[in-house]
Amino acid sequence: MLFRKNAVLALTLALIGSTTLSAQVMADDLTIGVRAGPDSIDPHWSTLGSQAESLRHIFDTLIGVDKDLQLQPAIATSWTAIDDDTWEFKIREGVKFHDGSDLTAEDVKFSIDRIPQVTGPMSMTIYTKSVDSVEVIDDYTVHVHTKGTAATLPNDFIRLFVVSSEIGEVGNEEFNSGQAAIGTGPYKFVSWQPKGDLVLVRNENYWGEPAHWENVVRKEIPNDASRVAALQSGEVDLINYVPATDYAAMQNDSRLDTFIADSVYILNITPNVKDELPVKAKVNGAEIAENPLKDLRVREAMDLAINRDILSEVVLEGLGKPANQLMPATFFGGSTELPVREYDLERAKALLAEAGYPNGFELDFACTNNRLPGDAAVCEALSQMWARAGLKINANALNGTVFFPAQQAGEFSLWLSGWGTLTGEASYTYGSLVHTADPDKGLGAFNKSGYSNPEIDALLEEGARTLDDDKRRALYTQVTELSMNDRVLIPTVIIQTVWAAKADTLTFEPRVDQETLAQLIQPVAQ
Amino acid sequence: MGFFIQRIFQAAIVVVVMSILVFIGVYAIGNPIDVMIDPASTQEIRDNLIRQYGFDRPLYEQYFVFVGNVLQGDFGQSFVYRVPVLDLIFSRLPATFELALGAILMAAIVGIPLGIWAGYRPRAASSKAIMALSILGFSLPTFWVGLLLVLTFAVQLHWLPSGGRGPTSDLLGVPFSFFTPEGWSYIILPAFNLALFNMGLLIRLARAGTIEAMSSDYVRFARAQGLKESKVVGLHVLKNISIPIVTVFGLEFGSTLAFAVVTETIFNWPGVGKLIIDSIMVLDRPVMVAYLILVVLLFVLINLVVDLLYGILDPRIRARRSA
Repeated sequence: MLFRKNAVLALTLALIGSTTLSAQVMADDLTIGVRAGPDSIDPHWSTLGSQAESLRHIFDTLIGVDKDLQLQPAIATSWTAIDDDTWEFKIREGVKFHDGSDLTAEDVKFSIDRIPQVTGPMSMTIYTKSVDSVEVIDDYTVHVHTKGTAATLPNDFIRLFVVSSEIGEVGNEEFNSGQAAIGTGPYKFVSWQPKGDLVLVRNENYWGEPAHWENVVRKEIPNDASRVAALQSGEVDLINYVPATDYAAMQNDSRLDTFIADSVYILNITPNVKDELPVKAKVNGAEIAENPLKDLRVREAMDLAINRDILSEVVLEGLGKPANQLMPATFFGGSTELPVREYDLERAKALLAEAGYPNGFELDFACTNNRLPGDAAVCEALSQMWARAGLKINANALNGTVFFPAQQAGEFSLWLSGWGTLTGEASYTYGSLVHTADPDKGLGAFNKSGYSNPEIDALLEEGARTLDDDKRRALYTQVTELSMNDRVLIPTVIIQTVWAAKADTLTFEPRVDQETLAQLIQPVAQ
Repeated sequence: MGFFIQRIFQAAIVVVVMSILVFIGVYAIGNPIDVMIDPASTQEIRDNLIRQYGFDRPLYEQYFVFVGNVLQGDFGQSFVYRVPVLDLIFSRLPATFELALGAILMAAIVGIPLGIWAGYRPRAASSKAIMALSILGFSLPTFWVGLLLVLTFAVQLHWLPSGGRGPTSDLLGVPFSFFTPEGWSYIILPAFNLALFNMGLLIRLARAGTIEAMSSDYVRFARAQGLKESKVVGLHVLKNISIPIVTVFGLEFGSTLAFAVVTETIFNWPGVGKLIIDSIMVLDRPVMVAYLILVVLLFVLINLVVDLLYGILDPRIRARRSA
């Protein structure tokens, strides 16, 4: 008995001792706990945000973006449209790959050409869909010939990662093992397993600003509670996507710092404006043939019944901001003229009565419950707000796996979903959501509401052909204003993102695309 | 020999039925394309991907293509990662195996002696305490206990790490982490979390068996013979109560190994559970089918071993079989 007790005591002490020893990390190392990691080390595999974020450490893109998603030079130092269907990119000189070879225009051409062959279901061809062919002019000049006029080609190329043309025809396995993971980025690939840790080491020959941290480990911890616990226990130095409930607690915890910023994601309500709804509306319990959402007064009434301040402060617990358009107003093509959305319940009821629904109507309302923080909570809050205006809106929060196929199949009458303008400009958003659904033109791919406005369509198509930045911006601003006034979609709130780190250890500028990049994180001067 | 062949035949049937169910099930939830593909893709991209993955073919044709490939040893590539499915699963299986083994051993080493004690002295205060704890063991939800363990031991006390797996070294080419004390510090909490349910079960089983055995004839005769009490309990009683315990042990090992998702998620253990739940969410059919087939084979193997153990533990079964 005594022997066993001593043995147990000795074992426990040994364990405690070994863990405290291993907890002493080198001061120049950084361990980040991230919610999601890459699906492959091949940068052309997927368009997912977590993929781009992870691989921006190892590879560079042709065109970069600053923290507000506006374009800045990266591998390409300048870009101009030399005629209606050709863009010229000047390539930066003196950039070296991790294996020591020089980056030339040949590598850029190779990168663009390989995308259709190697990309996966989140297909990167949406960024190269306007590319017809790529021509190498000289070692540092590339001409991209486009199908028709592609005014937003530079925006599409902010996720165009450049790989070395010497890797040949390889796929995910060769990249994951490290054999082909040769980039030009601030960090070099050391090891990775699907869903495992991404281990990186600093690239001492980086062409840009050298990173501070020598060894970086990105641990994938998808469970929110575990990720927060990992930070609190000291396992990791920084975590992303802190849940709202933990944010509130962390603000009072002096051992942790929090960083908060707007994201690109906005929760939008989409009303189905087709002649016949998939699930009909009901008035006083009986189904009606017509679609109440077709009437602009009804859509405006529903908009006026939404109290966006309550959504931000109470439902999202402070991690939201009222939105009045589908993307941040400072993005290319956004409007600073649009008014802040009002909350006016009396006017909402008056408009409904005017439109012929004095007793309101009943509709089903679908949303996701696992895609963006607060999506289900906002959905339920909205249905309660509409109840105050006399409408019976039945909220139904669904798992994304069920929601998206049903939405694609056009099964919803009214739904809430998040949209992030990841290219920083209007045509990506309004072209997909507001333009008439036209598969041949590749526009309106995500327009499931049946909305079709020839005036807006014409403006969007003209914008795609206009190479002059100012003229194009004016056209897109018009599109924004017209579609928002017509309540094609009703934006509710901008989601904010929170990061947390150990107090007074590091600092960084939070980005609107929510990316956590080790090369942009600096230690706090002691 | 006929015994083995019969088992293998049964296993094959279950595997076929399982694979058909998964194919139909995935299809019933929705087209994987709608979940996997970027919603902003054009129709052209969607059509290309549908053709590439074979989703434009009727379901039974997709199934036969799959069967044809499996018979050649190719379980296909994951839709999400585009790496061979078997490589993906086997890269994470050792971690789950290690965790499940640790959990079940912990449950057995702690649970069986406690249960025997509770059965040996059923009216003692300690026995009553053991029984109360066993109820907690299988009624408390795993995720809640797991979070409590992390909060207490990792965040508050800083005694143990909050998640992940320790450093590994290879045994027969397979990486395991139980060789170093540091590795153990990572295994303890998740293994304990997983072990609780099984511990509760084994305590109650052992107690019930012991109570029954203690009133039996052979115990009375063994005592009359003058055997030490520790020999009576530790040898004779133990052997006689072991049949149900071994059965449960086998079943629980199988289900712990196959479905340790919750614990693996909370403790960020790099096992196969997290891989599976994510594959189900995105309808990554090749991974789902391959994994479930492996689970079926695992249960068949475990049942086979348990049956063989019956023969070893109980000579009466051995005799009946060869008769």
